[in-house]
Amino acid sequence: MNLTKTMLSLAVGGAIALSSSAFADDKIKIGVSYPTPTHAWAAGMNWHAEQAEKRLEALYPDVDLILVNSPDPSAQASALEDLVSVSQIDALVVLPFESEPLTDPVLNVKKSGALITVVDRGLSQPGIEDIYVAGNNPELGRVSAQYMKGRLSDGDNIVILRGIPTTIDNERFDAFMAEIEGSGINVLDHKHANWNRDDGFEVMQDFLSRFPDIDAVWAQDDDIAIGVVAALEQAGRTGDGMFVVGGAGMKETIKSIADGNELQPVDVLYPPAMIATAMDVTVAAFKSNGPVAGRYILGATLITQENAMQFYFPDSPF
Amino acid sequence: MSENAAAQPTKKSWPEIDFKTLGPAIALLILCIIGYSLNSAFLSEGNVTNLLTRSAFIGIIAIGATFVITAGGIDLSVGSMAAVIAGLMIIIMNNAVDTFGSGVATVLIGCGCSIILGIGAGWINGVLTTKGKIEAFIVTLGTMGIYRSLVTYFADGGTLSLDFAIRGTYRPVYYESFFGLPIPVWVFIAVSIVGWVLLNRTAFGRFCTAIGSSEAVAKYSAINVDRIKTYTYIIQGLCVALATIIYVPRLGSASGSTGVLWELEAIAAVIIGGTVLKGGYGRIGGTILGALILTTIGNILNFTDLISNYLNGTMQGLIIIIAVWLQRGSWGKNKKTKT
Amino acid sequence: MPSHENSDITPLLCADRVSMSFGEVPVLFSVSFDVKAGEVHALIGENGAGKSTLMKILGGFHQPTSGRILFEGEPTALPPFGQSEALGIVLIHQELNLAEQMTVEENIFLGREHSRSIFLDRKSMTELTRKYLADMGVDISPSTRISDLSIAEKQMVEIVKAMSRDAKVLIMDEPTAVLTEAETELFFRQVEKLKAKGVAIVFVSHKLPEVKKIADRVTILRDGQWIATKSTSDLTMDAMAQMMVGRELSNLYPPKNETDVDAEIVLAVRNMRTSEINDVSFDLRKGEILGFSGLVGSGRTALFEAICGIEPFESGEIFVDGVSTHFKSVAEARDAGITYLTKDRKGKGLLLQQTMRPNLSLFALPKFVKNFMMDTDAEEAALKRGIRRFDIRARDPKVLVGDMSGGNQQKLLLAKTMECEPRILIIDEPTRGIDVGTKQQIYHFIAALAADGMSVIVISSEMPEIIGVCHRVAVMREGRITGFVSGSEINETEIVRYAAGLKEAPAHV
Repeated sequence: MNLTKTMLSLAVGGAIALSSSAFADDKIKIGVSYPTPTHAWAAGMNWHAEQAEKRLEALYPDVDLILVNSPDPSAQASALEDLVSVSQIDALVVLPFESEPLTDPVLNVKKSGALITVVDRGLSQPGIEDIYVAGNNPELGRVSAQYMKGRLSDGDNIVILRGIPTTIDNERFDAFMAEIEGSGINVLDHKHANWNRDDGFEVMQDFLSRFPDIDAVWAQDDDIAIGVVAALEQAGRTGDGMFVVGGAGMKETIKSIADGNELQPVDVLYPPAMIATAMDVTVAAFKSNGPVAGRYILGATLITQENAMQFYFPDSPF
Repeated sequence: MSENAAAQPTKKSWPEIDFKTLGPAIALLILCIIGYSLNSAFLSEGNVTNLLTRSAFIGIIAIGATFVITAGGIDLSVGSMAAVIAGLMIIIMNNAVDTFGSGVATVLIGCGCSIILGIGAGWINGVLTTKGKIEAFIVTLGTMGIYRSLVTYFADGGTLSLDFAIRGTYRPVYYESFFGLPIPVWVFIAVSIVGWVLLNRTAFGRFCTAIGSSEAVAKYSAINVDRIKTYTYIIQGLCVALATIIYVPRLGSASGSTGVLWELEAIAAVIIGGTVLKGGYGRIGGTILGALILTTIGNILNFTDLISNYLNGTMQGLIIIIAVWLQRGSWGKNKKTKT
Repeated sequence: MPSHENSDITPLLCADRVSMSFGEVPVLFSVSFDVKAGEVHALIGENGAGKSTLMKILGGFHQPTSGRILFEGEPTALPPFGQSEALGIVLIHQELNLAEQMTVEENIFLGREHSRSIFLDRKSMTELTRKYLADMGVDISPSTRISDLSIAEKQMVEIVKAMSRDAKVLIMDEPTAVLTEAETELFFRQVEKLKAKGVAIVFVSHKLPEVKKIADRVTILRDGQWIATKSTSDLTMDAMAQMMVGRELSNLYPPKNETDVDAEIVLAVRNMRTSEINDVSFDLRKGEILGFSGLVGSGRTALFEAICGIEPFESGEIFVDGVSTHFKSVAEARDAGITYLTKDRKGKGLLLQQTMRPNLSLFALPKFVKNFMMDTDAEEAALKRGIRRFDIRARDPKVLVGDMSGGNQQKLLLAKTMECEPRILIIDEPTRGIDVGTKQQIYHFIAALAADGMSVIVISSEMPEIIGVCHRVAVMREGRITGFVSGSEINETEIVRYAAGLKEAPAHV
């Protein structure tokens, strides 16, 4: 299942899950809670959430979307309480800061009778959410590895720059390694670059000093990739078919792929726009006649020069 | 070069090793030996150049921090300050392109603004601690949060990128070399020399040391304590501005994650170097070694896969503690006496 | 209280031929010392004679290089770091050892708090503290913070704390140095009580009259050597002083040369007011030594801190050489030739963690700058000069000032202040906590400076020194000058009458 397919299913939809309480007020109130954007990906998410709010509220005058962002897990928990007590929401779209500390607060929202949509990070207790929308971390690793296998041959060398040591990073990395296994491609080493440009630059500089022969780099993330590319350019090792695979779908990266960048020819999507998907699906739960509840795992699409413009949002900060 | 570190010049068959001065140098030497034994490429020209260039950011900031700490203060805001100055520099230069073109003029405007911003930010920290009579820890904790959120706000949560037209002009400031050494290293050397002279050879340095030892004694000795303390924060701000000027051309961008934890790295470099955290004794030479040690640790960890990635923090912590222990230990020194 | 009465008793604590050296520097040479239950044994000597070291050995803070310690007749190795308190040996340091931010009660019970199950039994501690304080005749509330107490009160708390620990041996390093006469009286009464209880007391003091009054026996040390141990009644004060110094000490105070009454007025203060000072006016003439006497807290220090720009003042006028001036900083006062030498040499006077050189040049630092750089050669030369002029005796020039003796610190502080080349020197408590030999030197310095045409103000709580040194004395009480005495009028009775408020001169200069 991929993003476009999901959108299609929404367009054809019909009504379902209309609880009578939803109409107790004259408007359908949907709370949208996510962390305060402190890095580019989250800022992109914030932008897409705001876009979806405008679009959906124009489309359905009786729908009221309430966007709240919080700087830390406990603030998010309080924000959830306020959404129930003050705004009396009918549904909640939540991207939890951390799984563990927000499981109970979300459960309390559910007890108030609201529909729950969880985005990206799952809760630590299954069965709370009615709808789950997420990117696919293992798929991101697998798609990246597949591309590598297509470009490289037996005996070629790659290095990997990982993110911040977390479950997300492990899922991506493990899937990548599983896919690459048996291909004959050597993974020289993997180090954490913390999804950060400066760290990407320094780790790559050290890899270049240490390994005289590197054929490709899996940077896993577009921010890391920016640092990696700067290090490659500094060392003058951008030729001989060297290439870098990032991830996430930063607008600048997508633009340069569309323009035919050879050093970074592809990107693997982990879109911040998933919050918009979650908002669409949640609204559909009130407006569509088709069944909506369930798990929506977005595809980790490989972005190439051919399809890049489909994923290009020049106004988004990411 | 240090006034206090000298051991008693009593006759000994064995020259007494002054670990207080030599500790950081020995730690760095050991690190280099470890690095070289792991991979001979560690001492390759390319890697040594990378190491020195990288040390320049933290090193320059840490030299400023040496003054603040020697005078008994602390500045936690430097990392955020670097981020916000980098962000504003980029915004200013991007806007100046239309008027001044993509040449040297625009870059100079950016650098000039960086220095003004650095001095201003340092002055704010200084005045709030001295005239405002608020502890430096709290003032700079506050400005740390303010600067960090400001850069996020300016970047709209995302990343501020330098106009590609200017990058070509500005890029050499980071990437070009001059007599075999990259320009950031020259800046680091210049700041080190000025810093050393200022701390060890001028009345200002003496004032800093006196204030850090005892503010009351300084006050009764006709020293304008508030003014000198404010100057130390201004020097810190100026150092942050210089570090930012050589940082921006590297990747041409700034975001909310720029310079995270630089303040702790700078403070760690200062303390590893032998400066006393509670003030009264500062060593610029030690600070330089401290910055090199910190960068080398990261470099070595990237050069080996012997240690799990997850234990990087453990290795850094251990080496910092060992380096400080080397210079704090009372190695065979005589006990203090009362005459 | 002759000591031979209990000469047959075994000493409670005894040091038997102890020697001590720090590294290669010997500071004690085979010194023997003992103290018996129920006696006060005074230890006297010049600064650097080894008193502090011997006391620290007796308290277990230092282990002797050779020799034995006997406690209750048994050879003992005293545990370090003050753990000897458990044995009943308590050492009260000169630098008081109280937790500044805690209350009196918390300090007294520090480390042996009363508790009921897991909670502190505050009630019983408060009551006991109140009782201890009352026994001592000290009027302090158990819940007062130490930082809010005066130095004298802190000293009292320290003594109460030691007494509350059932000390068998109480070693006190100059307990009366910061006490007023009334407080000293109270303190001695308590010492008598302790003596009666059978406590052995070792008492270090520079005040020979006190030694004569309170001690049963006295041991004199000089340059780390044992000189004599005698019954106090067998020694005159002059004899004690002579043995301490090892030379004749006939003239503690220099001869007073009369000042020229027509000498120009270099400093005139009119109607000075601050939060602590109420309408103070006085004149100071060239070459004059003007004393400021009065009780602790009468506003003497506050007055001169205001004049020298250290603290602000509300109203009043200062004339230097007839020109109205208002110093906004210490530097301005210094540049006008007026310097204030603090009484708190450790807290406000010297950088204890530094060596002598940066300390000496600190006050007059602009003088040592050449082409924007520190002129270390000039500093070295100044240090050599200062050491010679003020007879500063340090083991080596690299020693930390904090490790120097009080007397040498005071001389260094004087040298530091004199680097400013002042015309008007204000010395607050010039001889606090220093030995008689150094005192004599400092009095002669002051006299010599005045003879050279400098004007000196001496603030002192020690009556003999005010009487012995000053040409004229201003007496302060509760923030006002209650009177001036000069010439033959300078005597204890007259000063005390002004200080105690029994007499007040009409407001005049």
